[in-house]
Amino acid sequence: MTRWITLFCALTMALWAPAHALGPGPIQQPHIEVELIAADTAIQPGQPSLIGVRMQPDPGWHTYWVNPGDSGLTTTFNWTLPDGVQLSEVMWPIPKALPIAHLMNYGYEGNHVLPLQLTVPSDWLDDRLDDSVVVDLHTDWLVCEIDCVPGSARLRLTLPVTQDSPTEDARHRDLFAQAMADQPKRLEAPARFSHEAGQLSLQIDALELADGEWQLFVEQANVVDHAKPPFFASTEMGVQIAQPLSPFLAGVPEQLDVVLVAADRSIAYAVEVPMGDLGTATMAAPTQALWWVVVLALLGGVLLNLMPCVFPVLSIKALSLVSGQGQHHAAHGWAYTAGVMVSFALLAGGLLALRAAGEAIGWGFQLQSPWIIGLLAYLFFALGLSLSGVVQFGTRLMGLGAQTTANEGLRGSFFTGVLACVVASPCTAPFMGTALGVAILLPWAQAMVVFLALGFGLALPMLALSLMPRLGQWLPRPGPWMETFSQLMAFPLYLAVVWLLWVLARQTDANGLALVLAGLVAIAFALWLAGRDRQSAGTGATIRHLMVVLSLIFAIAALGTAARQAPSTTVDTQANWVPYSAQRLAELKADPDTAVLVNMTADWCVTCLVNERVALNTVAVREALTAHNVVYMKGDWTRRDSAITDYLAQYQRNGVPLYVVYRRDGGIDGEGRVLPQVLSPGIVVQALETL
Amino acid sequence: MKKHSMVNTALGSLLCLCLASPLWAAPQVGQPAPAFTATDTQGVTHNLSDFAGQTVILEWTNHDCPFVVKHYSAGNMQEQQRMAREDHDAVWLTIISSAPGTQGHVSPEQADELTASRNAHPTAVLLDEEGIVGRAYDARVTPHMYIIDGDGILRYMGAIDSNPSANPADIPSSTQYVVEALTAMAAGEDVAQSVTRPYGCTVKYAD
Repeated sequence: MTRWITLFCALTMALWAPAHALGPGPIQQPHIEVELIAADTAIQPGQPSLIGVRMQPDPGWHTYWVNPGDSGLTTTFNWTLPDGVQLSEVMWPIPKALPIAHLMNYGYEGNHVLPLQLTVPSDWLDDRLDDSVVVDLHTDWLVCEIDCVPGSARLRLTLPVTQDSPTEDARHRDLFAQAMADQPKRLEAPARFSHEAGQLSLQIDALELADGEWQLFVEQANVVDHAKPPFFASTEMGVQIAQPLSPFLAGVPEQLDVVLVAADRSIAYAVEVPMGDLGTATMAAPTQALWWVVVLALLGGVLLNLMPCVFPVLSIKALSLVSGQGQHHAAHGWAYTAGVMVSFALLAGGLLALRAAGEAIGWGFQLQSPWIIGLLAYLFFALGLSLSGVVQFGTRLMGLGAQTTANEGLRGSFFTGVLACVVASPCTAPFMGTALGVAILLPWAQAMVVFLALGFGLALPMLALSLMPRLGQWLPRPGPWMETFSQLMAFPLYLAVVWLLWVLARQTDANGLALVLAGLVAIAFALWLAGRDRQSAGTGATIRHLMVVLSLIFAIAALGTAARQAPSTTVDTQANWVPYSAQRLAELKADPDTAVLVNMTADWCVTCLVNERVALNTVAVREALTAHNVVYMKGDWTRRDSAITDYLAQYQRNGVPLYVVYRRDGGIDGEGRVLPQVLSPGIVVQALETL
Repeated sequence: MKKHSMVNTALGSLLCLCLASPLWAAPQVGQPAPAFTATDTQGVTHNLSDFAGQTVILEWTNHDCPFVVKHYSAGNMQEQQRMAREDHDAVWLTIISSAPGTQGHVSPEQADELTASRNAHPTAVLLDEEGIVGRAYDARVTPHMYIIDGDGILRYMGAIDSNPSANPADIPSSTQYVVEALTAMAAGEDVAQSVTRPYGCTVKYAD
């Protein structure tokens, strides 16, 4: 009779929805099959045992997690249990993020089980005749592909109760194993959250979360704007996460339950997060360990060897080393290394001293002076002429000249090291940005270690070659071809000169450029004179020496005049960017209608120029900037600019390039997201699309 | 394709000057509601400003969505339309933002036929197949409800009622947010629950 009433009720319910099904056994409903199952074939009194609601949406369809996300509906359960029988809450496995149009849903695809723990009282078999337990469930769900179909079923599970230890039900083994593997681990860690300015901020002090990529799932519905990706920032203690609040937020609970899932889903943590004040002390500290920075600096140094301004000079030195001139390979190697290290130490010492004196400078500062640029241009030009064989200058530095005595050779090697440091200074390898940015914020002793690591990296290939002459066997045999090679290597140096002159022209103007070019001619003249007829003496020689000195004085004077020229202030009317100003950036960040792309660049920064050419100035990026209403802001650090130095310091950088994007709704405290130092149009467009 | 249509959307919104706020940014309760221009099933163009002085209710719909069916099959939506228009002299605009070829997209004739067959009582049914109005309001699901007062200020946005289910049997025991809001506004009071989580089917926007 009761059964008939139940059935009648079920039929009545069926009037509003697709047929209201009744189980045991699997129930097929539109686009989904559901079933109530147990992990074991029987249950022991007093022993918790796993049961589960098996849901199998059609391929491409899904059901929902406890928080369904921006739309959708979580599955609900209404249990009917015999007296004394206990059932846990649903132990939700970690969900998948399911983006649908501009919304984000959280749910499950494919055949899956939502497990629970069932416990039959230990006296079950004593005072009852039943030798089985019956669990009834009325469940409602929403199953969606793009369109959604709500469904409902009454499911029944009848499970024998025995004193024997239970046997696993092989049919469901894999499903339960997967469901249990997908349970987040409870993480007991100090955590708190706050919400201001449309932003939920979480802080979890657990080092497990400090590294790696995580996905955030907040269990409470309607707290965060699920489609807006959260920002993660590592802190000294763990992680800080921010996500915009839901526009339909109607109140925030005192405690949030969040699940953090590793990007590869190999591990997940569940954390209880009470409301509280976020610590400020733990934010924005450099998180890279010193050893890692040192490794990066070392790698950056090794890479410097391949830079167009360094390679020609050093490759010839390398060849001279293996050609067997001089007996003291190892000594030469160490002398060279010492030259590099001393130069780097001087450069770093100067930088740190100026920094300590409150100067707003950073790595590359030496290139912000037209003086240095001009002198480097002269130097590269002279080295180039020498390699071309036009004049004899500096060949000893590069190791080409015959080394008559061991001492002179060693001094030569030392100054080759100095030269390597000087010619390397215009080139900033991509690795060095991070290493040097962090270095400048470190205590000076540690900073010096980083700079010396950079220098050691630069010296390393040559040192290795000198310590292990066998490596030289991998290099081509010396021969007449070396002359051709050295002449060929002059051309990268000339190109470096062109580039330096271009930077100089940007720092001064056409007049300044003409003066420095005249200076180059004077240098060439001086070198030519100096190289002529060394043996002659008397008045001729005196006049010759005087002319050489005068030429050099002229070159320097020309440079000095050029350096005083004001920079040209032509306005690029085609520009799609606005110049950087901290105030303007603050205004744009506060404006909820605009996102911002900041590009910190300098004309002497090759990486910056390449990035602009291949990525930032492409049609795709220009279109994306317009389409997404992003203001493109450019800061020019070609000449020293303390506002930009301050900005770089905010991101623990003290060199360019630096690319940062700011979302229109403000990121984590408006901090923005730093883009990689090597850009492609795809990277930029993708970043712009997420704003 | 996606980029192309976004550009179209941006251009379209510029041309008709109907977007006061950026794409996808939800409007704020207590702030002026985004202005819009849209055409109804009769080919008549409506501006939000045409209804200055009157309360305007916006209802996003998709007649095949089970959550919409819940409220129309039980007569709840129609009842609220009558109550709003007759008791509060309000304007009720039903808006369809489904893109062509997606669930809920209808021709003007089909829309009128649905109004007649369901005995619905909106002031007008607006066809927004490009999703311009929907995006301006960040309408996410169907049904998704908005109430704008006579001064053009948004007073309510969110769900139709408090029970996110597809079961019409749940309606009598649920708080009907639109009714509550209109009652409060008529009494000159603040709307107690002015923002709620909307539930229903995702609006089927054009990409």
